[in-house]
Amino acid sequence: MTTLSFIASLLLFLVIGYLLSIVFLPQPKSGASAFAFRLSAGAGLGIGVTSCIAFICLLAGLTRYLPAIDVAVCLVLGLICLALSRRGLAGKPPSLSQTRPFSGLLVVLAALFSIELIATILSFAVAFLKEPHGRWDAWLIWNMHARFLFRSGEAWRSVFAGGMEWSHWDYPLLLPLSAVRSWTYMGGESNTVPAVFAFLFTFLIIALLLFSLSLLRSRTHGLLATMILMGTPFFVSLGVSQFADIPFAFFVLATLIMLFFQGRSPENRTGSLILAGTAAGLCAWTKNEGLLFVLIAAVSVAGAAAVDGGGRQFVRRTGGFLAGALPVLLIVLYFKTRISPANDLVAGFSLAAASIKMLDPARYIEIAKAFFFTGISFTQGLIDVRVGMHFNPGAVNILLLAGYLLLAGVKTDPRDRICLFQTGAVLLLMLAGYFSVYVLTPLDLTYHLFTSLNRLFLQMWPSVIFVVFMIAGAPGEESAPGDGRDALPPLKPKAAKGKNKASLPEESSGRPLRDIPDREWTMSHEVRERNEYNKNPVRRHARLQREGDHSDDHREGAPA
Amino acid sequence: MGAFFSKYRARAGGLLVICLTGYAVLGLLWQNIRIYGGLPEKDPVTIHEERIRQLKPLLRASGEVGYVTTVENDRIFGFEKSFTNVEYLAQYALTQYTLAPLIVRNSPQFPLVIGNFLDGPPAPGFLEKNGLIELRDFGDGLILYRKDRKR
Repeated sequence: MTTLSFIASLLLFLVIGYLLSIVFLPQPKSGASAFAFRLSAGAGLGIGVTSCIAFICLLAGLTRYLPAIDVAVCLVLGLICLALSRRGLAGKPPSLSQTRPFSGLLVVLAALFSIELIATILSFAVAFLKEPHGRWDAWLIWNMHARFLFRSGEAWRSVFAGGMEWSHWDYPLLLPLSAVRSWTYMGGESNTVPAVFAFLFTFLIIALLLFSLSLLRSRTHGLLATMILMGTPFFVSLGVSQFADIPFAFFVLATLIMLFFQGRSPENRTGSLILAGTAAGLCAWTKNEGLLFVLIAAVSVAGAAAVDGGGRQFVRRTGGFLAGALPVLLIVLYFKTRISPANDLVAGFSLAAASIKMLDPARYIEIAKAFFFTGISFTQGLIDVRVGMHFNPGAVNILLLAGYLLLAGVKTDPRDRICLFQTGAVLLLMLAGYFSVYVLTPLDLTYHLFTSLNRLFLQMWPSVIFVVFMIAGAPGEESAPGDGRDALPPLKPKAAKGKNKASLPEESSGRPLRDIPDREWTMSHEVRERNEYNKNPVRRHARLQREGDHSDDHREGAPA
Repeated sequence: MGAFFSKYRARAGGLLVICLTGYAVLGLLWQNIRIYGGLPEKDPVTIHEERIRQLKPLLRASGEVGYVTTVENDRIFGFEKSFTNVEYLAQYALTQYTLAPLIVRNSPQFPLVIGNFLDGPPAPGFLEKNGLIELRDFGDGLILYRKDRKR
């Protein structure tokens, strides 16, 4: 019975998340990748949203009705989906890469990927058996908070004023409340529940990376990127540790992916942006550094909209992003102002001490050194405090990404240019933000760096891999960077407009190809050849004749 | 010529990723399989939980209880901050983890005090100084004390 209840709790957040993705995301395209993408993005968002619902129920004293409330939310979302589908909600689909048939290379790659995936799942399982309660922060913070909230019943608020600062009661409640929610369904505690959430978030990140890149670039991009992520020992180790850094990494990645979907779906921009805002808001509901992320992401969206589209787009896009983030941010705000104690970094902050630290060059040098060493080494695992900061690059690290980029080359899709700047800026500003926090920290600097920096880097790691693979080419697609086949002109031109003018085919986005100055950069070898062919008026005419189009017979150079 | 090199460069990039990630993934799996063979029947947290759980029938479900260990209370966090010994904090946190929502205070100044002496007994005179009288010894370094009201 408890297992069935647990499964019901999982299914409900999955359905809620999936329906949210249907409501807000324009139909990417039909097919397994699109369905799997919705499912992986929706599952994570569903966990976050149901955690927010659980918090509201906790505040209202309605925890016992939680399953009924979840079902009601499901029904409402289902009705919205139904109504929108009747009105034709889809609008124009985003312009995505075309699915190519499986080539030999892709089959080999998929087979190797499957082996790595199975090995990763086995590694996760063994690590779970070794430490079923997770590691240090799991039982010192996250699972302990879940136990307090579940076991305290109506008196749950008192624990926040309990003076247990060492357990960081100011930390947001997404992860603890997800466990509490499932325990409420089950009617009792189980140590397996937090471990299941750890498993889900770890493999949802893998799925999200795989399917988003498959849709936005190509399957090869998706497979190679996820192989790098699975080859990161610290990713698996932190996932099984049941820390909140992996859920946080999921929401950061989801935010950035939604920004790319917004860039690719000009007809339905606010839908993806609303989901991006929700994911960013859920970052703030997962960890305190999420507040910095929301701020940076919002500024980046606003900045990109102002540069790209002017005042109207600025209002529309920023409004869309904030509309998604605001409901979650209101919950975070309420929690921070009414329930949680002060954060240790904020409580220990003083202007006098901060100004001294800001003027101390030794701190900057120490932090820069730690950033450099950790940047090279963080993929390998926890820092051994007995050894200190040292080089420990391992097989998979940031240099592998750089090496791959060097070999595969930079081949971006022009449609992603704004998003690449936007997401690159978000990641760099996050690093700059973390650097500033370390400069001003009231904690012992070495202690603070040793105990947190590698986790902060790992939070960004899936997103960094994603952005790099949005930039890089891939084997087997050397001449089709960005898999821009969806933007290929058809062989047969459309009807001519006006005298001496053959119409240019338009992309599915409705944007004329001639407006994309470096379009050729994104074309396959085959298309380049075809275009060269078309430039030759004699050959072109002959071809049009074959295809039965005589619209530009009168062009100069056309044979009589 | 350029296209030729570009093609093989990209393939080399893919091969590099496959080789290094394969090595990393299988290396991690091998490491975990080796660990699996030597895994104890129970992990340390579960063992600690079972040990501490024995206290539950003697304690209230909520409220507060004191805590003492091998070292003075104010040194538990100091040792962790200086990376000298994280065990004391881990034992304290796991005691709290097990007994939640009862709050375990890192102080001997409570009517009931848990003694967790996995790493040896406290300094001589520490218990007397704090007026702690043994209520029950559960073995394995776990003792429940009551505070002498006169102290």
